[in-house]
Amino acid sequence: MKKITWNRLLKPSAKGKRRWIFVLVLVFAVLSFLITGGAYYNQAASWTKEVTNNTINLPHVQENPFRLGLDLQGGTHLVYQADVSEVPEGGRGEALSGVRDVIERRVNVFGVSEPLVQVNRNASGDYRLIVELAGVTDIDEATEMIGDTPLLEFKQRPEDFVPGEIQSSEIEIQPETSSSATSTATTTTTTTTTIDLSEEDINSPIASIQDQATNYEDWENTKLSGKHLKRSVVQFNPTDNSPEVSLEFNKEGSDLFGQITEENIGSPIAIFLDGYIISAPRVNEKISGGQAVISGNFDLEEAKTLTQRLNAGALPVPINLLSQKTVGASLGAQSINTSLQAGILGLILVALFLIIYYRIPGLLAVLSLAIYGLTVLAIFKAMSIILALVMVTIIIGLMIYTFHDLKVFDSILSILLITIGIFLFIYALKPVTLTLSGIAGFILSIGMAVDANILIFERFKEELKSGKSLAQSIDEGFSRAWPSIRDGNISTIFICLVLMFFGTGSVQGFGTTLFIGISVSMFSAIVITRTFMLMVMSKYLNKKPWLMGISNKYSK
Amino acid sequence: MYKIIPLRKIWLSFSAVLVTLSIIAIAVWGLNFGLDFTGGSLLELKIHNQEVDAVQIKEALAPLKLSSLVVQPTENDTVLLRFQNSTEDIHKEVVGVLESSYGINDNNVEGEDLGSQASIEELRFDAVGPSIGEELKSKSINAIILVLIIIVIYISLVFKKVSKPVASWKYGIIAIIALFHDIVITLGVFAVLGEFMNLEINTPFVAAILTVLGYSVNDTIVVFDRIRENLPKQLDNFAKTVNRSVNQTVTRSINTSTTTLLVLLSILFLGGNSIKEFILALAIGALIGTYSSIFLASPLLVVWNDFVNKKIKD
Repeated sequence: MKKITWNRLLKPSAKGKRRWIFVLVLVFAVLSFLITGGAYYNQAASWTKEVTNNTINLPHVQENPFRLGLDLQGGTHLVYQADVSEVPEGGRGEALSGVRDVIERRVNVFGVSEPLVQVNRNASGDYRLIVELAGVTDIDEATEMIGDTPLLEFKQRPEDFVPGEIQSSEIEIQPETSSSATSTATTTTTTTTTIDLSEEDINSPIASIQDQATNYEDWENTKLSGKHLKRSVVQFNPTDNSPEVSLEFNKEGSDLFGQITEENIGSPIAIFLDGYIISAPRVNEKISGGQAVISGNFDLEEAKTLTQRLNAGALPVPINLLSQKTVGASLGAQSINTSLQAGILGLILVALFLIIYYRIPGLLAVLSLAIYGLTVLAIFKAMSIILALVMVTIIIGLMIYTFHDLKVFDSILSILLITIGIFLFIYALKPVTLTLSGIAGFILSIGMAVDANILIFERFKEELKSGKSLAQSIDEGFSRAWPSIRDGNISTIFICLVLMFFGTGSVQGFGTTLFIGISVSMFSAIVITRTFMLMVMSKYLNKKPWLMGISNKYSK
Repeated sequence: MYKIIPLRKIWLSFSAVLVTLSIIAIAVWGLNFGLDFTGGSLLELKIHNQEVDAVQIKEALAPLKLSSLVVQPTENDTVLLRFQNSTEDIHKEVVGVLESSYGINDNNVEGEDLGSQASIEELRFDAVGPSIGEELKSKSINAIILVLIIIVIYISLVFKKVSKPVASWKYGIIAIIALFHDIVITLGVFAVLGEFMNLEINTPFVAAILTVLGYSVNDTIVVFDRIRENLPKQLDNFAKTVNRSVNQTVTRSINTSTTTLLVLLSILFLGGNSIKEFILALAIGALIGTYSSIFLASPLLVVWNDFVNKKIKD
C-alpha cells in the first residue's frame, strides 16, 4: 500500500504530473501575492485573529514598500560635472568614487531617505555625478547640502608663536588604535586646569568658528589638506560611550600627519574649513598609521557637525552643477493616482474582451495574467535571497520542463533562459525604482503578455476547427505559437538590454521594467496558461466548442 | 480571405503618402524639442495676491539679458518662465528681481495681515546644461541605431531556414523599412502636435520611440513567422502564400492592438497629465505598427520578389 503511494508520487502518470505542476503554480501564485500584497494579507490575518478570538493565529509576513522614483514622490535631481584635470588619468575612477562617498555622507547627515548618488562617464570622457534626493524640493537647500568644493586645511602654530590667553583646549587628538579607556582617563586629568577656557567653544562650535576666524593668520600652513583625508565618522568611546570623531588619512596623509603630530606634541593643531576653524585638538603624542580620534566632551550633535565638516573638506575633486530639476510631490502623486486608476480601468476592459472573445480560455488567461501581475510587482520589490532563489527557480524550472514537454527546447532557448534567470534573480534581490516611464514599461509588458495568450488561442482555435481533439489542439496551439512569441520577445529583450545598459535615467527604468515584464510574460503564457488549460480539459468541454471560443458547428 | 496582397498598390501608396506628409511636416515645422534636449531653464512660479502680467515680468527681467526668454501664464494661475541660461546664479537673480519688482521684502509691518501680502512661490525649477541635452540626443540616436542593427541581424538569423524564394536578410531589411515607416509617421504626428498644440519631445519620448520599435518588429515577426511556416508546404505561389499567411494572423494582430490600445487610450484620456505625451506616442506607434505589419511589410516582400523575378526574366 505504502509502496504504491510512493510510486505514484515519484513516477506520476501524465495526469499526475499535471496536478503536481498545477500545485506548484498555485504555490508560486501564493508566494507572489504574499510578497506583493503583504500588507493586505497582514490586515486579513489580524482580522481573522480578532474574529476567531485568537483561535486562528496566522503568522504575519514582511511588508516591503515599492521604491518610487523622483517623478512619483517628488524631489530634486542634480547633475554635477567633476573637474578631474588635476587628477592623473589612472586615478580618476577612484577619485570619483571618493567624491561619491563624500556626497553620500553629506546627504546622509541631512536624513534624506535612500539618496541616489551615481557616477557616470560619458563618451567624451567627462565624469558626471547624478544626485537624486527624494523628498527635497528646495533646490537651494539641496545644492547647499552638497555644496561646492570646500577647502580643508590642517594648520599648526608657528614656532615663534607667543601663547595668548586662549590656546589650550580640552579637545584632544590621539591614535585610533590606542586603548580608548586609558587615553580618555588621561584626557580628563590633564585638561582639568583649562576646562573653563574651552567650555564655551565646545558648547557652541558653530559660533566659535566665527569668533576664531580672525585667528586664521596666527596659524601656519602644513602640507596636510582635505585631499589626504579619506573619511571621518562619529563613533563612541567604548568606556563611557561619549561621542568621538575619527579621522582616517590616506597613505601620504598618514606620513604627513605623523610628522606634524610629532612636531606639535603638547600644542594644538587647527583644522580650517574654508578659512574657518572647525576644531583645534591638542596633540599628546605622535600619531602614525593614519588613524586618529578627536575626543573631548562633545555631545552627539556636535560630533556629527564636526564629522560633516571634515567630510565636506575631504572632497578630492571640484564639482560644478550642470543641471537641476525639481518635481513637486503633489504633482507626482496626483498624476500617479489618476494614471493608475486609468490603467486599472484599461486592464478591466482587456479582461472583459478576453473573456467575451475567447470564453473559457480567455478566463484562464485572465487568471494567468493576474498571477503575472503579482509576480512582476513582487520582483519590483526587494525580497530575501532565499525567496528570490525559490521564485526564480520555479520560473526557470517550469519553463524548461514545459519547453521539453512541447519539444521546442533548443540552444537559443537555453541562452535566453539563462539570461532571464540571472537578471530576474538580480532584480528580485534589489528594489526596482518605479518611475512614470517604468510603469509605462510595465503596462506595455502587460500588452505583450496578453499578445502571447492571443497568439496561442488563435492557433488553438485553428487546430480545434480543423477537427483535432482538445488535448491535441492545446498541444499544437502552444508549440506552433511559440516561435513567433519567441522571436517577438527576444527582439524586444534585445531592445530592453540596449536601454538598460546604454540609456539614461528614465529610459533605463523603462528598459528594466519592460525586461522583467517580458521575461515573466513568457512564463505566464507558456507555463501558467497551459497548466490551467490542461487542468480544465475534460470530455464535457470536448463536446462544447462554444465554451472554448469557436462556433458550435464544429461540435463533434 | 481579405485581398491584402492583391490590393497591395493601394496600401503601399497610402503608406507612401503618410510618410511623405510626415517628412514634410518634420521639415516645415521641425520637432518641438523640450528642455531635456535643448538645455536651458524652466521656472514655474505662483504669484500670490497680485495680478500676473507676462509683459510686466518680461520688462522686469530685461536687465538680466536672459537669452530667448519666454513668459507664459498657465491655466492654473502660475507663470512659466523659459530661458536658455542654466546656472544657479542666474536662477537666484531672476527670483530676486521678480521679488523686488513685485515689492516683496522681508520687512513685513508688524500686525499686518499676511494673507493679503504679495508673495512668490517657486513651484518648479528645472535647469539642464547645454552639454547634457546634446549628450542625450546623441545617446538616443546611438541607442536607436544599435537596436536597428540588432534587429536586422536577429531576423536574418532566425529566418535562415527560409531563404527561398526570398533571401532571409530581405526579411530583416523589410522589417527595418516597416520600423522606419512607423517612426517617421509617429515623429510626423508629433511635429504637427508640436506646432499646433505645443507638445514637447523630452526623454520619455525616446523610450516611447524605442517601444514602438519593439512593438512593430514584434508584429512584423508574427506575420513573417507564419509565412516561414507556410512556405515549405508549397501549396501556392509566393504571393498567394503570403496573402494566406497575413489572413491567418490578421485576427491576432487586430485583437492584440485592440487590447494594447484599450489600456493606452484609458490612460491617455483619463490618466495624469505628466505622461500623456508618452502614452500618445505609444498609441500612435502601436496603431501604425499594426498597420505596417499587415499592409506594408508583407506586400513589400511580394513586391521585392516580383522585382527580382522580373529581372531574371529580362
